[in-house]
Amino acid sequence: MGFLVTTLIFLLSGGVASLLSLLCCNRGPSTNLFHLTLVITATVCCWMMWAIVYLAQLKPLINPILSGE
Amino acid sequence: MGVFDRLPPVDHLRSEKMCFVQLIMPAESARLAVTYLGELGLLQFKDLNEDKSPFQRIFVNQVKRCTEMSRKLRFFSDQINKAGVNSSVRPVLQPDIDWEELEAKLGEHEHDLLEMNTNSEKLLQTYNELLEFKLVLSKAGGILASSHDPVAPADRELDEHIYNKEVDDGIAYLLEEGVHLGATKNSGVKFVSGIILKSKALAFERMLFRATRGNMFFNHAPAGEPVTDPISGEEVEKTVFVVFFSGDQAKSKILKICDSFGATCYPVPEEMVKQRHIFHEVSLRLSDLEVTLNAGIQHRNKALESVGSQLWRWTIMVKKEKAVYDTLNMLNFDVTKKCLVGEGWCPIFAISQIKDVLQCATLRSNSQAGIIFHEMDPIDSPPTYFRTDKFTNAFQEIVDAYGIARYEEVNPAVYSVITFPFLFAVMFGDWGHGICLLLGAFVLILREKKLSSQKLGSFMEMAFGGRYVILLMALFSIYCGLIYNEFFSVPFHIFGKSAYECREKACSDAHTAGLIKVRDPYPFGVDPSWRGSRSELPFLNSLKMKMSILMGVSQMNLGIVLSYFDAKFHGNALDIRYQFMPQMIFLNSLFGYLSLLILIKWCTGSQADLYHVMIYMFLDPAGDLGENQLFWGQKELQVSNLLNNKNNMLHYLLCLLANNYSPFPLSDTPVAYGHCSCSMDALPKAFYLEETSQGEVPRAHLSLPWDVRNGSRF
Repeated sequence: MGFLVTTLIFLLSGGVASLLSLLCCNRGPSTNLFHLTLVITATVCCWMMWAIVYLAQLKPLINPILSGE
Repeated sequence: MGVFDRLPPVDHLRSEKMCFVQLIMPAESARLAVTYLGELGLLQFKDLNEDKSPFQRIFVNQVKRCTEMSRKLRFFSDQINKAGVNSSVRPVLQPDIDWEELEAKLGEHEHDLLEMNTNSEKLLQTYNELLEFKLVLSKAGGILASSHDPVAPADRELDEHIYNKEVDDGIAYLLEEGVHLGATKNSGVKFVSGIILKSKALAFERMLFRATRGNMFFNHAPAGEPVTDPISGEEVEKTVFVVFFSGDQAKSKILKICDSFGATCYPVPEEMVKQRHIFHEVSLRLSDLEVTLNAGIQHRNKALESVGSQLWRWTIMVKKEKAVYDTLNMLNFDVTKKCLVGEGWCPIFAISQIKDVLQCATLRSNSQAGIIFHEMDPIDSPPTYFRTDKFTNAFQEIVDAYGIARYEEVNPAVYSVITFPFLFAVMFGDWGHGICLLLGAFVLILREKKLSSQKLGSFMEMAFGGRYVILLMALFSIYCGLIYNEFFSVPFHIFGKSAYECREKACSDAHTAGLIKVRDPYPFGVDPSWRGSRSELPFLNSLKMKMSILMGVSQMNLGIVLSYFDAKFHGNALDIRYQFMPQMIFLNSLFGYLSLLILIKWCTGSQADLYHVMIYMFLDPAGDLGENQLFWGQKELQVSNLLNNKNNMLHYLLCLLANNYSPFPLSDTPVAYGHCSCSMDALPKAFYLEETSQGEVPRAHLSLPWDVRNGSRF
């Protein structure tokens, strides 16, 4: 549940970032596509990183044992 | 797939379109034209005189002159460094200087400097000799004085003489012998005084003793302070000596021995009055010499300063001229011997700029005929050129270090702009340090204009060149630091409560059995409870290893998919069928399958051993999986994977053999796969007007890529 919600949030922020890049730095179709590529790659990388760390903690096989003593 | 065809071409994805051009320049405007083309930096000349040695080329004399001038400039900078003169690089206020003028000026300066150097050397030698003479006077005078009247020490006025027991004993011995030193003129006892290196003094004495059969008396006194040797110029320890002897033969022998040992003899008069007189004279001369020497050094330093302020500009000028003549050497004279013919590559968008520049050159040189510039049909494949701006330049350089893309091949730099800093951040992963890096990057970027015109040290130059790389690295590091939950290695509870809590209120078994998971997983990043726990490393190691596998496999897949689009662009169906498909199947049936297993294990929380699963997939495919079963139908999937893979590889290799088709074109190395899937050797990359040799991937080494206006390299 939390996974899907956060994935949607990533998707939305990626979309917002692409729109921003199109609005702010509008410099011709090929450059726009280049900026779009960068934004999408960044979003995908960030999402993947978050998703991996989240999924690894869903059903863990070990638990934290405090140190000391 | 049709949608991809209708999209506009992505910037930087493929090389700019290049065209092969020929230039015909009349001889008088050739040099100016090449200079302007160099400043434009958009034309790569082909070397038409490859088979000629450097001495057979046309403009060899000019190149020699340039090297001579750069040698003089190096000499100046050496001298400036040695003299420790700090010259400030004044901004370009001086008028532009002509080439011939510069040559003459450099010759003049060098001549002056050499003269000044020899003069000051001579003066310094004289100065040091006089210093030694003064020392000898004072010490020897002391020795002689003590020998004159041993009972009246008060008469000895000369400073810093050493009156030691040796002298006493020696004098007593002489007196016993009956030699009356008060009347040396009559008794025939003469003496020689001088100065010698302390290390040689003992051997010197022994030699003298042997040569004169003991008929001499050797007296010495250390100089007390290190003296600068006039010949070698170093500071050494010396000893002043006085040798008493009788007879002329002994004198010549002694003088010869002095010579061979490198001892310098200075004449010291006997009478104290004369000694004082000469001492006074020597002191006067010394002070005179000091004044002269200082004046000489001042004069030289002033000259060096005036040279030093212009040195950087002159160096740039000489470098540019040499580059221009090297380029001119690549051209050929045509049949009439009046024009120079050159061939080269230029990007299509630059044609109008080049034409303008050539027009300028024709006007400036007042030549009758214009320069002819027309396109030709190329023979070999064009070089690759990417029009990079200050942001993408650094990333393109990093990618080029692995290998330069073929003409119109997919450029991995487009994706590397993000993935390179991202992977750095995955390794760096600390948002506290990320903030520091971000501040550093901001400093570099905000002072861009100021720093680009300065001459920076080698480390700062590297850091400045990669400022946008560092900026992206910092931003991604902050993100990854938040995910790893590390702020200077301290975890925070930014995103809510930790998912782990003690089993009971007392937390008695927190150190033995550990905490249990009571809530949903921590919403963003690694749970802060892990830090400092004993089982932190097993958890984090497993997480990070699996993360690396997942990210690596996805990046390799990206590379192979790029190769598909590349093959489609070039219309290369063979590549798609016999390279893309086998690569996809091979990668995904093995490592894609492993990634799938990892994801399933995480989602289901199974205790299956993935190492075991992967290894026994090969060793015992038909065997029972038992507790390592992750999903229904796993065994069947594994078997089919293996068979697929085997068939696939057989197919791939057979097609290679049948079509005599090598996976990589023999002359070039495809970079799209190289950068994303495996490492390749870095091809060397030149910045100046050099051509690549046959067999390497040609890269557009466009002429003189430096910002000429402020004389620095960007």
